[in-house]
This record gives sequence, C-alpha cells and structure tokens, in this order.
Amino acid sequence: MNSEKVLFAFFIILALSLNFGFFVGHFADPEHHHPYELFGAIIVSLICTFLKFGDRTSFGSTVLAASLVADLQLIAAAIVWGIAGINGVETLGNSATASIVSLAGGALVANLLSVILLIIETSQLRK
Amino acid sequence: MSDVFFLVLRRLRAPLILLITVFAVATLGLTLIPGVDPNGEPWRMSFFHAFYFVSFMGSTIGFGEIPYAFTDAQRAWVLVCIYISVVSWLYAIGNIIRLLQDPTFQQAIAERSFQRNIGRLEVPFYIICGYGETGMLINRGLSEMGIPTVVIDYNADQTSSIELEDLSFTPIVLTADTTEPNNLLAAGLNHSNCNGVIAVTENDHTNLQIAVACKLLNTRVQVICRSEIQDEAENMASFGTDTIINPYLTFAARLNLLVHNPSLHRIQNWFINQQSAEYLTERALPKGRWVVCGYGRLGKAIQTHLRKDGIELVIVEAEPEARGAPEGTIVGRGTEAKTLHEAGIMDATVVVAATDDDANNLSILITAQQINSNIYTIGRVNKEANQSLFVQAKCDYIMRRSQLVANEVLTTISRPLVSKFIKYSSSLSDEDTNILHDDICELTGNRDPITWRLVLDEQESPAIVRHLANGRTLTISQVSHNDLLENAKCIPLLLLRGGVSHLLPAGKIELQIGDEVLFCLKRYAHNMAQRLADNTELIDSLINKNPHHIPLFRWLSRRKKQQQELS
Repeated sequence: MNSEKVLFAFFIILALSLNFGFFVGHFADPEHHHPYELFGAIIVSLICTFLKFGDRTSFGSTVLAASLVADLQLIAAAIVWGIAGINGVETLGNSATASIVSLAGGALVANLLSVILLIIETSQLRK
Repeated sequence: MSDVFFLVLRRLRAPLILLITVFAVATLGLTLIPGVDPNGEPWRMSFFHAFYFVSFMGSTIGFGEIPYAFTDAQRAWVLVCIYISVVSWLYAIGNIIRLLQDPTFQQAIAERSFQRNIGRLEVPFYIICGYGETGMLINRGLSEMGIPTVVIDYNADQTSSIELEDLSFTPIVLTADTTEPNNLLAAGLNHSNCNGVIAVTENDHTNLQIAVACKLLNTRVQVICRSEIQDEAENMASFGTDTIINPYLTFAARLNLLVHNPSLHRIQNWFINQQSAEYLTERALPKGRWVVCGYGRLGKAIQTHLRKDGIELVIVEAEPEARGAPEGTIVGRGTEAKTLHEAGIMDATVVVAATDDDANNLSILITAQQINSNIYTIGRVNKEANQSLFVQAKCDYIMRRSQLVANEVLTTISRPLVSKFIKYSSSLSDEDTNILHDDICELTGNRDPITWRLVLDEQESPAIVRHLANGRTLTISQVSHNDLLENAKCIPLLLLRGGVSHLLPAGKIELQIGDEVLFCLKRYAHNMAQRLADNTELIDSLINKNPHHIPLFRWLSRRKKQQQELS
C-alpha cells in the first residue's frame, strides 16, 4: 500500500463527492445548495490540483488538467456567489443560484473524469 | 514544459497545500463563529468577507476588523489564525528560497540557459574542450576574431574563471565531463553552425576520446587536437583528425630551422606571429655543442628532429635508464655546475633547459650562463605564469607550450592558407627561401609583412569573377603587381586550386574561378589583389587598358562628349 496513492485517491474522491453533494437538489432553489459544501469542494479540489503538481506521468498530467478545470469552474461559481451577495443581499436569487449550480455541474464532470482516470490507472496496475 | 518548471512545482507542492489548508480553516472558522452587528443583532460573516479578511491577515497587511468590530470569540479565533498563517507563510517562503539556492535547481537552470544559448548561435562557432592555459589563449584569440565559442571543462574552478575575463565575446560554458559524447552533443556538435572541435585538455588520452567521438558523431566538423605523445598522435591521425598539434615536435622543428635555414624560420615566424604574443627569436642559432638538460618529451623531440650536421648533442638526464636516454648521456639534473662541466658546458654553444620543472629549468639556465657567458640559452616554460621569470633570467629563446599550441590552432582556424604555406614551405630549397626572404624584406622595408587571401568567388571578388566569366584572362602577376600602382605590390605565396596547394605560384599562371591565393604584403599598405577584387573599373583600366577617369572627370568628359555630339 502506498500512502501517497491513498491520500491522492482520498482527495480526488472526496472532491467528487463534495461537488456532487453541492450539485444535487433543485436546480434554482438556493435552499438546496449550501455555501459550506461549495467551500469544501473548492478547497479539496485545490488540494487535488497541488498534489499532482510536478507529476510528469501522462496520467498525472491528465488528472492535473481535469482538476484545474474543476478548480476554474468552482472558483467561478464562488465568484458569482460573491458578486450576487454584494450590497448586503442576504438570500440568493433563482437565476444566480442556477448559474452557480450549473458551474458546479461542469466541475462535477471534470471531477468525475479524474476519478475514472484514477480507476483506469489502478486497473492497469493490477495487470 | 521544461525540467525547471516541474522541479519548482514538485518542490512547492507541500508548502502550497499547507497554505491552502491554513487559509481554508481560517476562512471556515470566521464564517462559523457568530458576530454582532452595530445594532446588537447576531450576524455571521459571509465567505466573501471571511476570505477577504483572511487574505490580508495571512499576508500580514491587516486592514482592521471589517465589516463590523469583532466579538471576543472572533478575536480569539483570529489570534490563532494569525500565528498559524504567519508560520505557514514563513515555511512556504523559506522553501522557495531554499529551492533557489539548491544546487540541483541551479544546475537545471544553467543547463536550460546553456541549451537555449546553443540554439541561438546563428554564426559558425567552435567547441573548445578543456579550459587550461591553452584553452584560455585559444578562446581569447577566437573571441578577438569575433568567433563565438562553447567551452567544456569538467573543472568548475576553471570554467567559473571565464566570467572574470575581459572578453569581447563571452563563451557559452558547460561544466561537464568532456569525454562523454552526450556532453559534446549538448554543446552543439550536431548544430549546423558548428565549425569544429578543439581538444586541448591536459590529458592526451582524453583528447583522443574527444576526437573519436567527434569524428563518429559528426564527420563534417573539423577536429583539432593537441597531442604530446607520438603514439596517441598517430592513433588520432588514423581516424581522420584534421589537425594534430604536438608542441614539442613543432618546437624542435623550429629549432632545426633556426640552425639550418634561418630565413625560412624568419618567414614562418612572420606569418605565425601576426596576432600573437609568442616570442620567436630572429637570430640564427649557432652550431657546435648543444647541451640538452632533460630527456623528456621535448628532449626526445630535439634528439629526433634536429639535423645533426655540425651539431654535437649532449644529453643530461637524471634518470637516463627510465627515460630511455641514448648512450653517452651525462647522469645528473643539470642544475649543478659539476654536471654541466661534465657535459662540456665551457665550450658549448647552446644549452636547452628541457625538464618539466620550471625551477630546475631556471636553475640550469642561470648556472650555464654563469659558467659560460657566451652561451645561447633556450628554456622550456611549463607554467605560463613563470614566463616572466625566464625573461628576467635573460633566456634567449623561450618555449611557451600553451602559446605555441594556441597559435597553431588559431592559424589553422583563421588562416588555413597560411598554415598550409607553413606546412609545405619546408620543402623549399635554401636558395628559394633566401630569394623569398629577400623579396619580402625589400617589399616591406625589413618590417613584418601581413598576409591576405584572395578568394575567387562571386561574393568575395565579384569584379575578377565577372572579368574571367567574360572569357578574359588574368594572371597571378597581373593581380600582384602593376607598374601604375607601385605601392600596391604583393607577393603570391600559395595557390590553392581544387584542393591542391601550389607553393610560390609562377606569375604566368592564369587564375580560374574557385581559386584561392595567399598574398604577402606590407602592413598598412594597399593591396593590388584586394583592390582589383571588387573594382570592375580598375580591372578595366589596368588589365584591359581601357581609359577610365575618376567619377567627376568621367562626368565632365561624358558631358563634354555629349555637347560635342549636340554641336
């Protein structure tokens, strides 16, 4: 067992599950999407990215690219949230929620791809 | 992406992840801890405000408590965050600085910039392997000629000294093992602009290895090697090393010339010496008894290459059996008067201090001068730095090994026809040599001449090429001398036609396109061949005998002619 691999697999799956947790719920209902989940997803996704920094294998670089995509989308979602919350608006509007969730959905696809890549790489190792 | 980039990323992984974690925890804490707004209502920080606050707190900028004054609980949390974030920042910055100082990182950077510099070379360049005294002199010479160089040496002390030198062209430096073919390739051996490789490391075998590698990897490049051992030199020659320079043989050959054919020595001396500081004596050496102290590489070279008529060679050697000295060798170092007396120094004409120890050589020279004040002294300098001591000791002829090799290399590179001339000039008869010597002396008024090369191609000499292409002829005497331009006279030394060298070509030989001719002329003087090369009108007036005028007069005469035609 390789502790580094466990750590990386842990973070990459955590990123996917957090992202999914934020994504599920009614699309435009702010009640169904909690900011802490988005925060968690961003942080875990960033850690995933940095864990793959400097990895020169083809697997490493593809995962790095996918996880950079996820970062980009999630940070964009956070920025949308921040802008929507400017001027003391306490609750999010439906349209803002919809765009945040759709961005998070994009990130979800990227995270899913990372996990699939991870599974492929692991299965190849078994052989 | 480059190695350096990945190295940086890999090294920064841990500090960056730490920073993210610390920031995340601090931000999360701030959003969780309840605060109070100015109206006394409970209030929670949004992620936006929390991230803003943590960003300026973590970087120790500190804009204060915003948007509202904090509660004690919030302050307690911020206190914790301040210490954690400052420590993690220090850790991250410390890591970056350590990375910058890391030898691996610096080597990666150096290799990258080396590769980039090699790739950028757009003019022909030379690779110098070994940066000792000789390498330094060659590098300096090439730099003065405006030829870029790539220097490889395994010794970092040697290569780092290059930066301190005052060179007009800074060489590209690689500190690496010269015998590894990969390093030669990295230095641009296969680069389209690589003109040649100069192997002048201390070790003959290393030079041999470099020559083999270069000839195998790129047959097109010129390979110039220093070799001080005859076996290695023959080995090098066997697989096509272009030029092999043995300083001892060269020096012995010069001594031979100085004794038996001083005019030729003087001629060679003029042409080799054009750009160098090497001191070559102009006085002929006397025959008679020669005492050679030291039967090493130089002693052996003198023994084998000095023609013996009129010379009685006496060898002094401390270990005659180990060195394989001939019979009749006087045993001793030659530094003591007793040994020198045994060798007959009293009535000797020349003493050669040829050991590989400068202190011993100096001692031999001084002792010999004390015993016999009329003796002619020849000293071998092993370390260039000691050269001034030999000058102080009034040594008549100093052999500077590094300078000698450097001069040969530079002559071969920059003036290939001159080195051909010197190579073949030994085949001239004594009489021809004397005539040539007198001709040159008459031409230059007994001063040092310079050489000039005429290349008959479209680029270098368009006027002559056009003249020949029109079916007209031009002889060597026509380009070297004309009664109308008495000052521009020059003497043809060598004609290179189709790879064959013709020494001292006769004046009636007709030039052909593609020929190369080496001329010798007075310094700072006009040069007939050079003036003809790109001057169609001069050829027309001097060779074809058509009248020509200088431009103003030509314009006036043309106008006059036009007016005459009109009237």
